Amino acid sequence: MSVELATRLIDVLGGLLLFTMLLILAAGQVFRAIYAVAAQAVFLGIAGAVLAAATGSVDLWIIAGITIGAKAILLPWLLIRVVRRVHISREIEPVIPTTVTLTLAAGIVVLAFHLNASLGSVRQAITGNALPVGVTLILIGVLVMASRRKALVQMVGLFASENGIFFTAMAVSQGMPLIIEIGVILDVVLGALVMGILVLRVRSSVDADIADLESLRG
Amino acid sequence: MESSVAHLARTALQAALLVLLGPLVTGFIQKLKARLQCRRGASLWQPYRDLAKLLRKGTVQSDTASPFFRAIPVLVLAATVTTAAMLPVLWAPSGPSSLPLGDAILLVALLALARFLLAIGALDAGGAFGGMGASREMTVGLLVEPALMLAVFSVAVSGGTTDVGLLAARREALALSWTAPDLLALFAMLILALAETGRIPVDNPDTHLELTMLHEGMLLEHSGPGLACIVLATHVKQLVILTLVAALFLPLGLARGAAPGELALALAAFAVKVVLLATFLGLVESSYAKLRFFRVPQFLGLGLVCAFLALALRVL
Repeated sequence: MSVELATRLIDVLGGLLLFTMLLILAAGQVFRAIYAVAAQAVFLGIAGAVLAAATGSVDLWIIAGITIGAKAILLPWLLIRVVRRVHISREIEPVIPTTVTLTLAAGIVVLAFHLNASLGSVRQAITGNALPVGVTLILIGVLVMASRRKALVQMVGLFASENGIFFTAMAVSQGMPLIIEIGVILDVVLGALVMGILVLRVRSSVDADIADLESLRG
Repeated sequence: MESSVAHLARTALQAALLVLLGPLVTGFIQKLKARLQCRRGASLWQPYRDLAKLLRKGTVQSDTASPFFRAIPVLVLAATVTTAAMLPVLWAPSGPSSLPLGDAILLVALLALARFLLAIGALDAGGAFGGMGASREMTVGLLVEPALMLAVFSVAVSGGTTDVGLLAARREALALSWTAPDLLALFAMLILALAETGRIPVDNPDTHLELTMLHEGMLLEHSGPGLACIVLATHVKQLVILTLVAALFLPLGLARGAAPGELALALAAFAVKVVLLATFLGLVESSYAKLRFFRVPQFLGLGLVCAFLALALRVL
């Protein structure tokens, strides 16, 4: 695959990643947010495969495969299972209105692309605009975690942030070393398992939500 | 520069095509929805029959309506048909026209004018539902119009012109080299198209239930040939929006000359694009529920942010 084509494909995939991020932010229901983060992981995997084809790196092929397998299939399946088990309401309850978070997200994107101008020396020629897109995903993921009440949606925000870190790693170097990538993915899966079990246990022993913890005073 | 006579003839032909095919697209979407609901559905030509029936009927008018009320259907239809003249349907212009008939900005403004006239008419007639429908329609319009402008501008920046025909011709030369801003603008346009054509999840074109209608609420006081004009304008507006999306994002297969083979190809390409987009509308309408009205700003907010980002990424 030629470098030009790879740059263009990565650019387009960056646009798709941004769009799925906005979908997660605008989702009114838990399931939609989960499907959106799964789609995001698929696009991330495809971006990894494109980069692998352009650079001929075997590690990147493996990482792309693991990304699709773990983040696009395993984690969403796990999340959907937890949602079905705990019988929570399907509506996402935002702390601040969704329209406000969307506006904030637009600000974040503009900021990230603006800062990108001063980071020109860091990024690779082949990945083009991947760096600001990655930074945007990280920041909006944090925004999702901060502005949603449900633990499960906060997990979705965490995964989106993680996707952003992955994409940033792709933008500045050709991904991290294989062993670190696998370690990170294992961490994420383990984290998701622990959080999923925790949510289930909290729901079954005390009928409380994350937001209720705010009223705890020491 | 092409001669003004040829330009005018082409424009008139394209506008006539859009006006004539408008009801057929509505018929197609209704047929598709019926098939998805395992019904047989009305014939594809049903919208034409409805229009013919309305044209034969007499007009009944509210006592409180002013004389201006009678002019509204004609004005709405005129504004909408004028927008149809600004789009490249079959031909891509070879260069700037010697007789510019309007660009994307005027197109959006005329759509806004038609919306404004409809709302004024609904208020003029004095019906309660008309007022409610007008208020809701204007709220939706407030969210749709700026986003539509942003999405169009995002494409216009890359093409260096706001004339939709020239834009399509220049982008056709690039042969679909989509970049990230194009994708975001396309998503924004698809979301806005749902609102602008008055379809689920924003509005339900089939219902006449008083609490849910937006667009239909404004038509309640119109009857006979006047109603026919407005209904035809609605069909045409829908096709205009679809053609605008096709011209901005899928400008393929446009003819340059008047050779029959080239024209047949352009017509086939146009049909494929419109069927594709109409299928999208029908599928969304069949698989989603109508949003509560207070949820609509959230849905359209996604379109607005996408359109804004499409422009921001293009400029940054």
